[in-house]
Amino acid sequence: MTGTRVDIDPQQAGRDLAALVLTVVELLRQLMERQALRRLDLGDLDDGQEEAIGTTLMMLDRRMDELCAQHGLRREDLNLDLGPLGTLLPDGA
Amino acid sequence: MTAPPREVVDWEHVQAPVGVPLVDLLDRVLATGVVISGDLVIAIADVPLIRLSLHALLASVSERVPAPWADGGPL
Repeated sequence: MTGTRVDIDPQQAGRDLAALVLTVVELLRQLMERQALRRLDLGDLDDGQEEAIGTTLMMLDRRMDELCAQHGLRREDLNLDLGPLGTLLPDGA
Repeated sequence: MTAPPREVVDWEHVQAPVGVPLVDLLDRVLATGVVISGDLVIAIADVPLIRLSLHALLASVSERVPAPWADGGPL
């Protein structure tokens, strides 16, 4: 069996793996962000909780930027194109 | 009075919901709430090895679906 040698550049593989992990994290972050917005609209939270949720989400977003920069990725790289299903994340993010 | 003939859906060229990212669909599913129940058996060469039995409720916390713990809980 002729073994065709597939040389995967370890650097690229590492970055792709990081992109996959960060995509999952970004998906969860955006889901939580939308759920938080729904709860804020519901209005059953007191000001302290709303304040805490807002700052936490902001810090999380900043942290995502740091993580992407750390792995040499752009935020858009985290988006996945699911073919006929459209994209995983909104185009802007 | 016969109902107007509904045109047949041409499944070959059905486009995705235009401009709706999957995360928004997931968000709406969570807002409505969904129950996933079922059994999954992972087998190799017809030998069942792993069994996963699911009865999962996935929903946003609201007065209809209260959180089981008063505070934020362990997670």
